[in-house]
Amino acid sequence: MSAVDLLAAAGGALLLAGTILPLLRLPAPPALALQAVGAGLLGAVGALVLFGAAPVGAGFRDGLHPALGIDGLSGFFLAAIALVALPSLLYARDYLAGAAHERELAALGGLFIVSLCGVVAARDPSLFLAFWELMTLAPAAAILLRRHDAAVRHAVFVYLAVTHLGGAGVWICVLALAHYGALSDPGALAAQGSGAQALVLVAALIGFGTKAGLAPLHSWLPRAHPVAPSHVSALMSGVMVKVALYGLIRVLFEWAAPAPLWVGLVVLAVGLLSALGGVLYALLQHDLKRLLAFSSIENVGIAALGLGASILFASEGEATWAAVAFAAALLHTLNHAVFKALLFLAAGSFERAVGSLDLDRLGGLLRRMPWTGAAFALGAMAIAGLPPLNGFASEWLTLQALVHLAFGPALGLGLAGALAAAGLAATAALALFCFVKAVGLVLLGEPRRPEVAAAVEPPAAMRAAPVLLGGCCVALGLVPGLIVPALMELAPGGGRIATEPALVVPGTGSLPSLWLGVGIVGLTALLWRLRGGRRAAPVPAWACGQRIEPALRWSSDAFSKPLRLVLEGVLRPRREVEVVRAGGLVRSVRYRGEIPHLFDTALYGPARRRALAGARVARRIQSGSVRGYAAYLLALLLAVLVAVRVGVIG
Amino acid sequence: MTALAAAIQVLGGLALAPLLPGLVQSMKARLQGRRGPSPLQPYRELRRLWGKSLADPQPTTVVYRLAPCLVAAATVLALLLVPIAGRAPDWSLGNDALVLVGLLALARFALAASSWDTGSGFALMGSGRDLTFAVFAEPLLVLALLLAALPAASTDLVAMAAAAAGSGPWTEPVHWCGALAFALVILVETGRQPIDNPDTHLELTMVHEGPLLEYAGRDLALLEWSAAARHWIVLVLGAELFLPHGGGFWAQLGWLAAGVAALCAGLALTETAQAKMRILRAPGLLAGGCLLALAGLASFLIGGL
Repeated sequence: MSAVDLLAAAGGALLLAGTILPLLRLPAPPALALQAVGAGLLGAVGALVLFGAAPVGAGFRDGLHPALGIDGLSGFFLAAIALVALPSLLYARDYLAGAAHERELAALGGLFIVSLCGVVAARDPSLFLAFWELMTLAPAAAILLRRHDAAVRHAVFVYLAVTHLGGAGVWICVLALAHYGALSDPGALAAQGSGAQALVLVAALIGFGTKAGLAPLHSWLPRAHPVAPSHVSALMSGVMVKVALYGLIRVLFEWAAPAPLWVGLVVLAVGLLSALGGVLYALLQHDLKRLLAFSSIENVGIAALGLGASILFASEGEATWAAVAFAAALLHTLNHAVFKALLFLAAGSFERAVGSLDLDRLGGLLRRMPWTGAAFALGAMAIAGLPPLNGFASEWLTLQALVHLAFGPALGLGLAGALAAAGLAATAALALFCFVKAVGLVLLGEPRRPEVAAAVEPPAAMRAAPVLLGGCCVALGLVPGLIVPALMELAPGGGRIATEPALVVPGTGSLPSLWLGVGIVGLTALLWRLRGGRRAAPVPAWACGQRIEPALRWSSDAFSKPLRLVLEGVLRPRREVEVVRAGGLVRSVRYRGEIPHLFDTALYGPARRRALAGARVARRIQSGSVRGYAAYLLALLLAVLVAVRVGVIG
Repeated sequence: MTALAAAIQVLGGLALAPLLPGLVQSMKARLQGRRGPSPLQPYRELRRLWGKSLADPQPTTVVYRLAPCLVAAATVLALLLVPIAGRAPDWSLGNDALVLVGLLALARFALAASSWDTGSGFALMGSGRDLTFAVFAEPLLVLALLLAALPAASTDLVAMAAAAAGSGPWTEPVHWCGALAFALVILVETGRQPIDNPDTHLELTMVHEGPLLEYAGRDLALLEWSAAARHWIVLVLGAELFLPHGGGFWAQLGWLAAGVAALCAGLALTETAQAKMRILRAPGLLAGGCLLALAGLASFLIGGL
């Protein structure tokens, strides 16, 4: 056994110990520490393998013989999991302290991390599917342990129902792959013909796509993520949806490779729909955690754009750009894991301090919670894709891939690339809109409620976790060029660029983020000096001479109103205005407005109604009498025998 | 030559930028039969503002005070990415067109955040509209840059400017579509009619001016300069990528000056001939520009260059 193997084994053992021991009455803090060390070791092993160490453990096998192993791609995802898990566990130390079911929640959190690591390290179908199901169930249990009122139970029900219905796709895909022997031999599926390949690909798109939160199968995500405890939300949004992407990447680029052209177009279209739809509805949310959940859909969509572009480039024979697009998707996956975990953890601190995450009831928290607030602002800037932070690096790389796809020469692919590039640009603008609104409503201005004015910073660990992640946002943003070449090597077709801090890709003007960062900070500081210590006159903000009263404050809806009006045809908002008159005078005006989620009203609503109608029809044959059911069995048996006799089956 | 290009990039960008809005205003006044202000008026305004004291709306945080510096810093960096007469000195910042888009977005974010910090309704109204426009303007900008990048097959601005030289591009419909799309970008980024009215003093109609309402003194001077520098960036880019140019460095410099002057005249003419459009209709115009750009791309992919 090499040292790396030992490290991996030690990491796994510590993580398991940290998960099991709280159930044997070990207090939560040492258990969380054990989990953190274990996850950290696994992440370190992952990073070592990604940057060139030999793969650890077994290779993929088709039989049902449990096996674990780590190769480059698994290593990347393990590192991403660790990068989110460490701050989340640190945060959980103070977040869970004194809470009801503290030890059980610590154990469930550990179980969740074990299952996440397990999926990416599983090397045979049985372990893969077992960990996959565990990954779905562990957060559901954590949610229900913490809160179990009717609304939360419904959210968890929708989460389990949708992910299990979609999850059937994962089972079909993995079992079919094992059946054809394609897990161990990537060429095996291609030999089965395009029918088998199409079956596996469609099943994978539905199964992994549901779990990744890709539109239109994302309906569970904005329901389940906001109700989870914050450190679990961070893991769900930061890593769980990424682990689903891991599965999709394995299928598209390894087990069912080379993916045909239509799959590339489908992935590109789904990515575009998720990106635009996700961020548009994120912009319209009033609850911070729901906003963050919708924005996860957007970011998974952006990663899917990269994957789709990579397939299309590969089908065109452009190995370098296929690898760049692939690396862009992975880089965005990592970046999103970091800043989304940051934002969820900070949101948890705000909720703890204020008691509500209604955007219109916060305000002015930057002054009261400077550390958490500054980290939140940094995360918001990163997720809005602003240079020189990490979100910009990966969005720039994705946009470059799409723009180069548009260069042609094929007409269809060129137009698809241009449409996707325009869509990504619009997504970035919408994300900026959304997160400047979130920053403004949460951190800036005056407190909108007395309890907000009394908010204080959370304990040290809860303060440190978002700040650490903020540091990661800056570091990943400044030197993306050190990671991207390693990610490009994971792409099936090869293709490489030089390893240096700046992203230097042929056919672009390069992205020297480090110097951009130095330039922005340096120039801002210089101008700050020039602006100087001149006397500033304290004045009220201008409102045509009126005082700005609380009722005059700008709300979340008011800020996004122009966009809502422009997109009225798409969003179809409902509004009711009720004027109460008495004696010719208007006594009061009541206003109610909502924007229905288009996917719910147009897609899930009708589907649910059809399913219920179908169930009503099916109920007619449910007589409840044993003799009736025996007759059904007999009829079925006879039908099978007849079918065999005639030669339809068997 | 590169040293001269660097000098024009920095000094020209810093010093000549305020001349452009001044030039547009003075041409517009002439076209409307007024005497109007001198083209140097923006310089006088900047000098006046530089000497005045600052205003600090209560209660604001460091975000409000930092925003003008950040906006100006992002704009200066954007300025350094734009080549002059086909030359770009090496500032180690690269010359990527899409990085420019990111820097402009950073400036927009800083200004919108400052509006939230003041909590002023007019500022927020303006930035809400500005961000709504950006949702449609950013795809348009990316598509226009994409069309300009087609001949060079690179998003390096220097390569793009070189590939757009000569008369070759003008025989292709894609070039015309790109030029029209970029013209709309110029209107949005400079905040000109029919998208926005730079002369308005009515708070309710403001888009780009709204977030500037609370600022005074040097803060306002920085923001006014940034607005002028945005004129410089898009007009120089427009002249370098979409207007005729070619020849050696000096010839290109001449073409650039003529091109920027022509674009200023074009802006003045549009402002005189066109009334401001309803705010909610502007996104439709920009979306139309996007469709035009896609049509241009289709023509390129069908016909080749």
